Amino acid sequence: MSRTILGTTDLAETSLSSGACLTLMDGPLELGWRLSGLTSDFLAEAMALPFTGSKTRHANVHHSIEYLSNELIENALKFRQPSDIVIEACVDADLFLMRVRNEIDSETSTRFQNLLTDILSADPGELLIQQIEANAASNASGSGLGILTLLADYGAELAWEFEGANNQRIQLTTTASVQIPLA
Amino acid sequence: MEIRDENFRVWAENECVYFDGVLRLAGPDAYSPIYSLAASLLHEDHARVIFDLTGLEFLNSSGINLLAKLTIEARKKPEIQLVIKATTQYPWQSKSLPNLKKLYSGLDLQLA
Repeated sequence: MSRTILGTTDLAETSLSSGACLTLMDGPLELGWRLSGLTSDFLAEAMALPFTGSKTRHANVHHSIEYLSNELIENALKFRQPSDIVIEACVDADLFLMRVRNEIDSETSTRFQNLLTDILSADPGELLIQQIEANAASNASGSGLGILTLLADYGAELAWEFEGANNQRIQLTTTASVQIPLA
Repeated sequence: MEIRDENFRVWAENECVYFDGVLRLAGPDAYSPIYSLAASLLHEDHARVIFDLTGLEFLNSSGINLLAKLTIEARKKPEIQLVIKATTQYPWQSKSLPNLKKLYSGLDLQLA
C-alpha cells in the first residue's frame, strides 16, 4: 500500500467535515456527464447562500464555487473506475474548500502523477497558453485545461492524494481551495 | 444555423455568432459542431467576425478550449478582424477571456 501526495500537502490533511457531504453512488444513478453540472449548481447555490446580501459578491462567490466544483466532478466522472464519487465541501472564513474522492486504475494514476509533476514545476499561466497551443495543433480527446485554468485564472490551491497498491485500483482524493472574492 | 439544447443556444446571423446560456459539454468532440459553425464564418468573405458572448453565463474548461481554438484559427487570417463581445456580469469572462489576447494580440476583446 503506498500513499503519494502532490500539490499543496497541507490541504490534503484539512478537515472539511463542517459543510456538505454528498455521495454519488454508482449503480442506479448511472453517473453520467450531466450530474456534474447538476451537482456543482447545487453546491454553488447552497454554499453561496450566506452571500446574498451583495449581488456582485454573491455572483462572484457563486461562480467560483460552481466553476471549481464542476471541473473537479467532471474529472472524477471522466477518469473514474466504476465506484462511488464522494464529495465534501465547506466554506471556512474566506475560503471555499472542496474534496472529491473516486477510484482510478493504476495506469491512469501513473499518467496523472506525471502530468501533475510537470504542472507543479512550471508557471501555470505560461503552461495554460502552451497547452492551448498544443491542443489547437492536435486532435486530442481531452483539453487538459481544467486544472490549469483553476490554478492560473482562479488562483486555486490543489492537493492530490493517491492511495493503493500498484496494479490495483487507486483511490484518488483531490482537495481544492479557492479564495472567496471580497467584492 | 443553430445548435441548442435545454441549457444553451449557439447561432449565427450574418457576421456574428451568438452564444447563450450555460455550456458544459464533455470535451473537444462534443464541442466540434459548435467549432464548425463558428469557424465557418472565419472561412467566409467577411471583413469582421463577431463572437457575442454577452449571454453566455457559464463555460467549462473544454469550452474555453473551444474559444482558444477559434482564436488561433482567426490568427491565421489576419485579413479578418475577430471581435469578441463579453461582459463583466459573468465572472468567468473577466477571469479567462484575457488569455485569448495572449494567443492573438490582434483580437478585439470588448469586455464591458
